[in-house]
Amino acid sequence: MNKINENWLERNTFHHADFWDLIKLVEEKEKKGLKISLCIPTLNEEKTIGKEVLILRSELMERYPLIDEFAVIDSGSKDKTLEVAKNYGADVYLASDILPEVGDKRGKGENLWKAIHQLKGDIICYVDADISNIHPRFVYGLVAPLIHRDEISYVKAFYDRPLNYSSGLRPSGGGRVTEILIRPLFSLFFPELSHIIQPLSGEYAARREVLEKIPFPIGYGVETSHLLDLYAMHGLETFAQTDLDRRVHRNQTTNALGKMSFGILQTFFNRLHAQGKLDRMPDLETFYRRFEVEEGKYHQLVQEVIEEERPPMIDIEGYRNRMASS
Amino acid sequence: MLCKNLLHSLNQWLMEIQEIDRETALSGLLDQIPERIKKISEKRDSFLTDTVLLGEIPSPTYGEDERIRAVVDRFRENGLSAPNIDEFGNASAHLPGTEGQSSILVMAHADSVFSREVRHEIQVGSGHMSGPGIADNALGLAAMIALPRLLDDLGIRLRDDLILVANSRSLGRANLEGASGFLETMSLPARAGICVEGSTLGRLSYSGLGTLRGEITLQVPSDYDWKRFGASGAISHVTGLINQIREIPIPKEPKTQLVFGGLRCGSSFNTSPKQGTLRFEITSEDDDIIGQMEDQLNEICEQFSAETGTLVSMEVVAKRQNCSIPFTHPLVKTTRSIMQEAGITPKVDPSTGDLNALILSGLPAVTLGLTTVENLREINETVQLDPLYAGMTQLVSLIQAIDQGICDS
Repeated sequence: MNKINENWLERNTFHHADFWDLIKLVEEKEKKGLKISLCIPTLNEEKTIGKEVLILRSELMERYPLIDEFAVIDSGSKDKTLEVAKNYGADVYLASDILPEVGDKRGKGENLWKAIHQLKGDIICYVDADISNIHPRFVYGLVAPLIHRDEISYVKAFYDRPLNYSSGLRPSGGGRVTEILIRPLFSLFFPELSHIIQPLSGEYAARREVLEKIPFPIGYGVETSHLLDLYAMHGLETFAQTDLDRRVHRNQTTNALGKMSFGILQTFFNRLHAQGKLDRMPDLETFYRRFEVEEGKYHQLVQEVIEEERPPMIDIEGYRNRMASS
Repeated sequence: MLCKNLLHSLNQWLMEIQEIDRETALSGLLDQIPERIKKISEKRDSFLTDTVLLGEIPSPTYGEDERIRAVVDRFRENGLSAPNIDEFGNASAHLPGTEGQSSILVMAHADSVFSREVRHEIQVGSGHMSGPGIADNALGLAAMIALPRLLDDLGIRLRDDLILVANSRSLGRANLEGASGFLETMSLPARAGICVEGSTLGRLSYSGLGTLRGEITLQVPSDYDWKRFGASGAISHVTGLINQIREIPIPKEPKTQLVFGGLRCGSSFNTSPKQGTLRFEITSEDDDIIGQMEDQLNEICEQFSAETGTLVSMEVVAKRQNCSIPFTHPLVKTTRSIMQEAGITPKVDPSTGDLNALILSGLPAVTLGLTTVENLREINETVQLDPLYAGMTQLVSLIQAIDQGICDS
């Protein structure tokens, strides 16, 4: 186990309850002169958007002025998403109206990217629109590490507990695509990044100064590309992650996850190619990295998985002899 | 004699002046209602948010702890005095008045009919919110919590202390245990009380209905003789028992009602169940009639048991006496005036809830509903937002009227 990484987990992994004192957090934010913008990208989210806007605005703009700007950036919803969001006081924008000279592409990443231009905050917090158990922790848990620690520039959310829990298995781990695709890929090519417990979570907060310097895939690869690009620029120390407890959202079909994985793989291999790792393939790692939690502390479990291979049977003399004599 | 007459006239004159003062004060208060409805609608976000956040915490009767802790946190965040959870599981706090010689009690029950296993998810639309228990009583609870901020926003400083209580253990078997416990141990003298319920706008309760809630359990004993004439499983027996209970004469005057509220019996298609449980409620304007019906039910159970060889027992789980303040009480009269000015049609509805505990403790009290509700006590319980602002305005205005002495008898 790498000592630096072990320390990173300890130093840069938080729980939202660490930041329960919102008065103190707002004071610290004001002392540092930071402005914070909240962006919710939407496409046909009339069922959940009202509650998100109501609760986050009421708690984090009116009761505790942590958020300075609250925007819903929409990809052209056909339902009442915009009407409901406006009714509860969000600033509502159509992604196609922002920077019209660069054209309009359809995808969540497009809305996140255009938010950097439209919003004024030093910190931008992105929250998905389909969270049915929305709570202020989904925002303050993510922006708090950026307010308190200047060296951190990007904070990811994670939920529930990882798969291997000290008291037994929990029903949900890091998500199917994370566990089956991303964690093995990171273990193979970017072992340090496997410290991010839920690399695909749709909720994160980041400083403008890093967001404006990275490209944004407009589709499924946006979260993966952020991690790979910022890691290449600043290393692991730029990241932090916060446990936001439980998140309830729509379950996706296996087909939808397949499509998502296909998009993520494109982003991933584009990065490998750009970094010269495809042409000069390094020796592949043989350590698979996952997590366990014990008494509230996260530990990475490293397991060696060596995929040994046998040659074709035809190359084995004994086999050839048996076949010749039969 | 002359002196006595003079004193009497003086008294009458003073009372007339008092009445004129009261009417002037009420008229001033009523004039502000339309503007208040508008202002409260603009300040809605905070109490709508609390409705969602509290409503998503399951809070079955005797399992209200988490919701009660959230209420106390809100009391603290709102800067109230003495936030506390008492031995009965009630959360309370005070908003000190400018004089504080008396107090006004506002109570909302924190328990819900929905069990912890039900998914407590509130959905928020443009003009409505829905989810289990949102009307009964997440909305009432949130409205009670919102009062100090709303009073402040409206520029109202009360002379009396405002005591806010989220009472536990109100519904079903709990038999108003939380409200009664709080009232027994309350130290400040209260001028009047208001119970707040999400459902339904226009509700005006100033009397508590005599109530008896019970459970009849029928068991087929293990040594039951299945060969005897008329032998059958628990379902047939419970049906027979219900038919006998239905023979009890129920008077129309004084108004009396017997409701069968629940029946549990059996679990499959082809097995005769050995046990059945019947839940019922008797309500009557006359406590003696409730007593007589209780005796009759006991007799029926005993007789049925003896005749069928089954074991039948009746347990009374909740019992309340009739209680009321007069329709002409200034609290009731003022409430009606406020409702009318707010465009709300009052509907007199005797309560079987916490109001009984308040009135029986000697407090003049009413129960108010806040908005129009659909699918009450269903998973998709829905509250409409537009009527809610008038509902909140009636609550705030009534508190102010009590504070100004308009509702004193």
